[in-house]
Amino acid sequence: MEEQGEFVIPASPQDVWDALQKPDILKECIDGCEEMTVTEEGIFACVVAIKVGPVKARFTGTVKMVEPKPPHSYVLEVSARGGGAGFGSGRAEVNLQEVPEGTTLSYVVKGTIGGKLAQIGTRLFQSFSRKMTRTFFDRFSQRWVR
Amino acid sequence: MKVDLTVNGSQHTVDVADNALLSDVLRETLGLTGTHVGCDTSQCGACTVHLDGRSVKACTVLAGQADGGDVTTIEGIANGDDLHPMQVAFRANHALQCGFCTPGMIMSAIDLVQTADSPLSAEEVREGLEGNFCRCTGYHNIVKAVLDAQANM
Amino acid sequence: MNAETGIGASVLRKEDARFITGKGQYTDDISVFGQTHCVFVRSPHARAKINSINTDAAMAVDGVIRVFTGGELVEDGIGDLPCGWVVTSKDGTPMVAPPHPPIATSVVNYVGEPYAFVVAETLQAARDGAEAVEADFEILEAVVDTATASSSTQIHENAPSNQAYDWELGDKEATDAAFAAADHVTTLDITNNRLIPNAIEPRAALGSYDAASSTYTLYTTSQNPHVERVVLALFVNVAPEANLRVISPDVGGGFGSKIFVYAEETAVIWASAKVGRPIKWRADRTESFLADAHGRDHVTKAELALSSEGEMLGLRVKTIANMGAYLSTFSSSVPTYLYGTLMAGQYKTPAIYVETQAVFTNTAPVDAYRGAGRPEATYVVERIVETAARELNMDPVELRRKNFIPPDAFPYQTPVALEYDTGNYAASMGKALEIADHDSYAARKAASEGNGKLRGRGYSCYIEACGIAPSQLVISLGAGVGLFESAEVRVDVSGSVTVMTGSHSHGQGHETTFAQLVSDRLGIPFDSVNVIHGDTGRSDYGLGTYGSRSIAVGGSAIDRALDKIIAKGKKIAAHMFETTDDQVEFAEGQFSYAGSNEPKPFAEIAGAAYIPAVYPLDELEPGLSEKAFYDPQNFTYPAGSYVCEVEIDPSTGVTEIQKFVAVDDFGNVINPMIVEGQVHGGLAQGIGQALLEHGIYDADGNLSTGSYMDYAMPRAADLPDFEVDMTSTPCTHNPLGVKGCGEAGAIGSPAAVMNAITDALGVKDVPMPATPHTVWETIQQGA
Repeated sequence: MEEQGEFVIPASPQDVWDALQKPDILKECIDGCEEMTVTEEGIFACVVAIKVGPVKARFTGTVKMVEPKPPHSYVLEVSARGGGAGFGSGRAEVNLQEVPEGTTLSYVVKGTIGGKLAQIGTRLFQSFSRKMTRTFFDRFSQRWVR
Repeated sequence: MKVDLTVNGSQHTVDVADNALLSDVLRETLGLTGTHVGCDTSQCGACTVHLDGRSVKACTVLAGQADGGDVTTIEGIANGDDLHPMQVAFRANHALQCGFCTPGMIMSAIDLVQTADSPLSAEEVREGLEGNFCRCTGYHNIVKAVLDAQANM
Repeated sequence: MNAETGIGASVLRKEDARFITGKGQYTDDISVFGQTHCVFVRSPHARAKINSINTDAAMAVDGVIRVFTGGELVEDGIGDLPCGWVVTSKDGTPMVAPPHPPIATSVVNYVGEPYAFVVAETLQAARDGAEAVEADFEILEAVVDTATASSSTQIHENAPSNQAYDWELGDKEATDAAFAAADHVTTLDITNNRLIPNAIEPRAALGSYDAASSTYTLYTTSQNPHVERVVLALFVNVAPEANLRVISPDVGGGFGSKIFVYAEETAVIWASAKVGRPIKWRADRTESFLADAHGRDHVTKAELALSSEGEMLGLRVKTIANMGAYLSTFSSSVPTYLYGTLMAGQYKTPAIYVETQAVFTNTAPVDAYRGAGRPEATYVVERIVETAARELNMDPVELRRKNFIPPDAFPYQTPVALEYDTGNYAASMGKALEIADHDSYAARKAASEGNGKLRGRGYSCYIEACGIAPSQLVISLGAGVGLFESAEVRVDVSGSVTVMTGSHSHGQGHETTFAQLVSDRLGIPFDSVNVIHGDTGRSDYGLGTYGSRSIAVGGSAIDRALDKIIAKGKKIAAHMFETTDDQVEFAEGQFSYAGSNEPKPFAEIAGAAYIPAVYPLDELEPGLSEKAFYDPQNFTYPAGSYVCEVEIDPSTGVTEIQKFVAVDDFGNVINPMIVEGQVHGGLAQGIGQALLEHGIYDADGNLSTGSYMDYAMPRAADLPDFEVDMTSTPCTHNPLGVKGCGEAGAIGSPAAVMNAITDALGVKDVPMPATPHTVWETIQQGA
């Protein structure tokens, strides 16, 4: 499964970069996020409750930031388990570029899902992940629109 | 939770878990195993019963939602030894083979005929039974049976 | 004979009385005192090494009684699930059968493979327990694709190139020579889509152990309880055969998927003794999708050599068959002896050569599904014949007629091992064309075109080999079982009759058809015959129901037992008439003797058999109960002609079947109503394969079509009214002259539909299923 997209955020690349490192901001912006903590430098642990079609579960995951090039790019390695509901893992390449409106954040995600999520949720998962991403950036951008 | 149900004319008060499904209560608590469960996504229709006169998929109704309701299952549509016209027509037209989908199919078909404004065409019967799967008959004889029963209902 | 209930009458079914009133007893309807519930923990990965399994949290769940893992079964001496037919490769080596523990121990090889199971007081507790089982997996690269499996990562240690076997049939040299001499060669690359059987009743099992008698009783959804019993006893080592009773009560459809011995019933019956309480399991639908054996999944290259006049000279077929992760119970025979042997079809093609490479992938095991090999063979033959006709600018009907094996050529030895006993293919074809208004097609096509629609017509003239099977033949080809059938006809004191059969009905209506046979032959009322099946505790060892064998083999066994009943009845009657048994006649339910004007009704002889007053007991035992084991001399060869007309909306790609005509030759027919019903059901599954159904795994081995939201089951509005008729050339080698009818519809129909669709679109091939999207894309590519 592969996804890509971009969002324009009304803030400088440095401000965006800094905000993306803060667990409380991430928690606020990720729909269904119940916990977000930094376990060590560049590694976040999170708990996210999601519902994809008939599959509803609480996923526990880790997000590891690798190859950080502040404030230009980084790569996230994500893995999450949702008990009987399934699991997911992926790799996201994130790029920040300065534009007149602020910063263009572009991303390419490659991931896999498995378990019940894959069996009865695949058809719905793509639209679900798009919506989740859009929600994240809507909320994230809101921080600078007051 | 306590749930009051009238099932095939008998009154029952059952004590069930909050997440108990009507299909579970019928099958497990009341022993009415004629209502079958063939899927987990409300598509196959094998569990179709009537709740307050309309067909519902019992696997998608919480027992609590049916509280105070009047439920009719496949076991309750004959009048003693007098079979319902739909039951008669299913047998007369060889509209069943393994029999597993049959209770739900009959309950859906009765509702379909009862709620039709005018006599149904074969095409309308096919559309109307969209929520019930049969893997044995190819539906050919089921359609014949429903058209046949409609004349006697 | 009684015209209303005898052989040839469309008698309404006995079994319907319970099914239409909700009184059927399916496995999940049965509950026993003290029963517990079981949920299987299934692999979320297509291929992974199991590093460890932690069951502590599951055991801590309120209501959980025991959590079992695969290792415990192995320690207890429980064996692997076997494949009962050893196919030999071209090079003389036997097939590779990888180890297949019922509950995975060190590796998992498909999504849905069970690696643990939880027994609990309630289903809810068992589910909660299953969710709490934690396994540490090391995920390995998965192999999913049929065509490239042999060049992918090796799955099983003992299976290089992921190959189970590489099999051949036919004369390669003669076939090559036929191609060298041909004027025209038609080639076709086709796939036969993976299907998921989807009996509406999910599989289920209820196992219990009685410590007092050391006996096990297993209620399960099986098409062949005796086979289940012998496999569990002899190969899996659950219990001595004598201490294991298997009961298949009412079973809600099988279509092949309930032939096999699966992990779940094995686990449930074994664990019932460990837990000391009965254990029940019922699959939810997603489990059925993941863990029932799937069907089909072939990739094939076929070549047909012809003369310029359309004479078929040679056929070459090379198939890759996906077996899934393990070899299921009868899987190996499906793409070989039930497939390659059918490549002659209805034609006198003199040279045929078939190769099948069976490969492993990280998908659910693939085994027999309605038709099992024969739909795939028919699809190859009938698609390439139609394609050849188009390439030669010949009428596909004429090309077929030119090549049909003529009625006077029977018995006919094909170049691919089978000897057809009888048939009249032109007769079925003629009748089908007549019913299909063949000659007025041009007007219908013009009318469709006038409405902006594309119309196409396709044919399929299938043959199949069923009524399986001659035991010594199949054993010589690698089968590990005989394929006879048993029957016991037990005449009761009052003259009513109880029949015990090893066949099993899961929709076929044996309780009616077999009663018709008995009532007809004994001249007794239809209602005084009771047919009992599906219980190893009551009937003799029999092989069950699949391969359209029930009437041809099971019915013939009953017929043989009836011969013995009548023979003994004559002996008893002879004593009453004071004559010898060769002087006694039996007809219309009466024993008669030329020297007496008082014939003895059957019931009177039955009474005399059990109240032995008139005959010498040192010469004749009391009682009237006889058994027979019938082993067929050959397969039966039903054949038919199918015609399909479709109309396609080019703007949406939606295909509508406007006409579907099926004319079948099943020889003699006991109950035409039931036989027609069998054809209808087969057609629905074949049309489902052609238009709707497809079991799809994604590249990681997740089953994308794991529910009814994603797997397109045929619904009422997807199917047409069928026009079904019959011709008859009675089978020459069984006593009833009957041929099997259960699979024909599924065997013949996909090619008819796809020939019609490719005709409408003017293309060589469209992959099945021809969904609106696929058809629309095909139209766009041509535009």
